[in-house]
Amino acid sequence: MRNLWLLLQRNAFTLAFIALMAVSLSVLLRNDGAARSSWFKQTGAISYMIDHQRHGWSNYLRLAEQNAELAEENANLRSRLLSMDMATEWVEDTVRHWTVRSGMLIKGPDGKPRSPSIATPGLNGGIETGMGVLSGGAAFGTVEEVGEDHCRILTLMHSGTSWSCRIGRNGPVASLGWDGMDMGLLQLKDVPRHVQAVRGDSIFTSGYDLRFPPDVMMGTIFDVERQSGADFMSVSVVPTVDFKSSRHLDFLVHQADSERTALSSTEWQP
Amino acid sequence: MIVVRILLLVFFQAFFLRDVSPLGEWTRPEWTLWALLLIPPQANSFLKLTLGFAMGVGLDIAMGSYGHHMVAGTVLGGLLPALHRLFAPREGYEISDHPILRDMGSSWLVGLTFSAALIYHLALMLVSNWYWHLIPGALLPTLTSAVFTTLCCLVLHLMVYAPDRRKSSS
Repeated sequence: MRNLWLLLQRNAFTLAFIALMAVSLSVLLRNDGAARSSWFKQTGAISYMIDHQRHGWSNYLRLAEQNAELAEENANLRSRLLSMDMATEWVEDTVRHWTVRSGMLIKGPDGKPRSPSIATPGLNGGIETGMGVLSGGAAFGTVEEVGEDHCRILTLMHSGTSWSCRIGRNGPVASLGWDGMDMGLLQLKDVPRHVQAVRGDSIFTSGYDLRFPPDVMMGTIFDVERQSGADFMSVSVVPTVDFKSSRHLDFLVHQADSERTALSSTEWQP
Repeated sequence: MIVVRILLLVFFQAFFLRDVSPLGEWTRPEWTLWALLLIPPQANSFLKLTLGFAMGVGLDIAMGSYGHHMVAGTVLGGLLPALHRLFAPREGYEISDHPILRDMGSSWLVGLTFSAALIYHLALMLVSNWYWHLIPGALLPTLTSAVFTTLCCLVLHLMVYAPDRRKSSS
């Protein structure tokens, strides 16, 4: 404080000069229009320059933070892109004799363990029992019963059935079902404890049940739980299909279905 | 005495001598400067600054010039101590020295008066023009006005402190 006082005393004349100049200039600027406009023109340019410089420095200092934000955003976008790639729509497989017929869902699963789903068309549209059904390129269910114009579909959200699937494109085969509890989660059954499965892994159809071709997206692993002493682990899966918003369906038709059925039956003799 | 002198000259410049300008803007004298230049060189710097400011206020009030003379007077009042130091004799000012021809000599008087007039007119020119592109054209009239103001101040000085009066007083 004493040093400050000494400093003020030492520069008292300069401070007094500056104060009187400020008073004089303020009187001048208040009363002289030309002086005022020129003053504001000059000080405006200077203040713009200072502000521009300050803005530049501020941006420079925030680069690290912005970089981290961009990196995070980039990671999110990459993640989304990856999941979009994996959920890519199923393309009609004419090489392996799979074609599709389009249909419309009339009544979807309502969250009850054994609720039926109804869709069009039926027999008149070439729909047969046992056909696989896709929604948005992912597995939706299978045709359980067929009427003239409608059919009943057994969806993945039905607790009374299970679906043959594969963990990853080349992983082990397991059985996918629903326990009737949470509509957003399916359960993988019979997955041995030693299998490599982590959250985010994709679940595809295996093709073994003859209803779907292999490699149709079914869902993504949400959680893996290995209980001590158990031979199998419990794996929960988020289905790819949003059963609450599904509307357009694709019914899978295999051109050589009768041959496959005959071959798979034990009575067939060459 | 200094204050009275300043007030008198402000009064005369504002009401009688403001139109004494034989060549228009080329010769625009500032008579009041003479009163400011009669402040003793040994006087306090604050006194010089305050009187310069006061002279500007007086001129602005009397002439309705909205702060131009305040700025110029403050600039001159602030620089007057430096001018006095610049023109100081080698051995410095004596306590009895007055800023007149008899004590300080003609070169000191002319040099100080012209320097002060030039500073005052330059400051006045800057606050009157403001825009940079107008300033080069105003420099020469400023210089000639400073010369004319110097002449006017010297005439006043010789009228008040005439050599014969100096002889009679001594």
